[in-house]
Amino acid sequence: MSTTLYSGHSTPIHRLNPLTKLVAMLAIIVIAFALPWWASVLLIVVVIVPAAVIAKCGRRLLWISLIMLLPILLALFAVQGLTFPGGATVVWQWEFLTVTSEGLMFALTVGSRICALVLASILLVLTTHPGTLMSSLTEHGMSPKFAYIISSTLQLVPAFKDRADSILLAQQSRGLAITGNPLRRVRLMMPLLTPLVLGMFTDVEERSTAMEARAFGSAAKRTTLVPVPDSTAQRIARWLFVVLAAAAIATPIVMGLL
Amino acid sequence: MSTSRTTETNKVRNRILIALGAIIVIATYVYIVVAQPAEIAESATSQASLIAIAGYVVGAILLAAGSIHRLPTVTLAMVPVAIALNIVVGQLVSVLNLPIYLDSIGTVLVSAIAGPAAGVVTGILTNVIWGLLLNPISLPFAVVQVVIGVMAGYAARWGFFRMWYLAPVAGLVTGVVAAVISAPIAAYIFGGATSAGTGAIVGAFQAMGQSLLGATTLQGLISDPLDKAITFTVVVIILAALPARFLQRFPFVREYNVFGKKAPVLSPSSAAAAPAAAEAAVDAAADADGTTER
Repeated sequence: MSTTLYSGHSTPIHRLNPLTKLVAMLAIIVIAFALPWWASVLLIVVVIVPAAVIAKCGRRLLWISLIMLLPILLALFAVQGLTFPGGATVVWQWEFLTVTSEGLMFALTVGSRICALVLASILLVLTTHPGTLMSSLTEHGMSPKFAYIISSTLQLVPAFKDRADSILLAQQSRGLAITGNPLRRVRLMMPLLTPLVLGMFTDVEERSTAMEARAFGSAAKRTTLVPVPDSTAQRIARWLFVVLAAAAIATPIVMGLL
Repeated sequence: MSTSRTTETNKVRNRILIALGAIIVIATYVYIVVAQPAEIAESATSQASLIAIAGYVVGAILLAAGSIHRLPTVTLAMVPVAIALNIVVGQLVSVLNLPIYLDSIGTVLVSAIAGPAAGVVTGILTNVIWGLLLNPISLPFAVVQVVIGVMAGYAARWGFFRMWYLAPVAGLVTGVVAAVISAPIAAYIFGGATSAGTGAIVGAFQAMGQSLLGATTLQGLISDPLDKAITFTVVVIILAALPARFLQRFPFVREYNVFGKKAPVLSPSSAAAAPAAAEAAVDAAADADGTTER
């Protein structure tokens, strides 16, 4: 498994400052959750899909999100259509099963919001390298400690997966069977976990000494080695996204007062 | 001494961030439980889901931002290992086809040996990275891992890791709190359907006459306490297998005597000293530890 979903094309979307994409994603999520369902659908059709096509990752976005969303959406419509607590208007009835329009409406609202949330965040991950996202956030005042933890974990996970796999194989070669009833399999966790954790923690001490020797704990402000390109247009765009999101929050409140 | 004054103001700032984050998370939950449950049914323009997602995310971020500066470098070097442990074991469990998640072993482990602040940072970043790597659906649930980190850290402080049979009790309590905190996310952001299996259980509870929030809370109460009890037990067994010399390196373990008798308390003054001095003391203490043991 590759570490992240990131696909390294060079399209205008990929070249955008990561912060612009992050703010855009957050604005999309806020707007989707503040307004009725048509807003989410509108955002997906007008913003997310064209952006994915420009970024040449429309097909990957479609597949990844289908695998993620399909089971959830099916469960959502089935469960809320049939058993929504506020359901009164019966649309369809068979034996003891009744589908209510309130339930379907609720499922539509929630489902369209989840779609906007998942599609927007997968698009961000597909088009943004985690490293550039971290350096861009650090430039804007995030603690470099967060950047260290996230980047370092992204490198560690594949290494640990290999380690876990080889421990599993090693224990199986000693006669560990990974079948049987659930209780037995819970007990099997221990011969897998103990060597994994022991091996993983042994080098933590050494690493922390090395980090301390390079002034990792210092609170002084660092300069960046590779500055992330930014532009005035993008800075304005980011503020525009914030204003749009605020407007989306305010609209229903103002409409309610009138 | 401008440097000491800046560390002092930083400390105050960190405290304010943590307090603010905790207040926002609790206020979000209280608001949703008290004000909303019935209304979401009628109006699609209801703000409940927006408040749920925004309040929890902002609260979790503030808690993490306030916590990270309290961590010494040894702890920071351990956090990526713990996050990787969360993710790798979480996936290993899904391969073994068990009916639990066990996706917070690393968070509980770090909280037990480095305190609640370390658990908070591990918890929130686990879900951020899980969202980046595998599944953005875990992102809104970051606050749940934060709560698990805090609870596990305080359980360690109060001696729940000294005896193996106390740990599952702390796990049960943590599981109940985790279920209660995560219920509004499952209800108002995902409509009760975070996966096909949980969706079916939520549907069953709704058919029995529960409200949406009630159904997701009950669904969480079925799985979370068991899962966390097992997690805490696994962590206690792992900790028993780790060398005492490694565990005693952590000031938190020494200060609160997390593992009982096998933890000789070194001079308490070194643990209470200022963070910068404490760190030097930790190194010295670890060296001293090594010589006395051999």
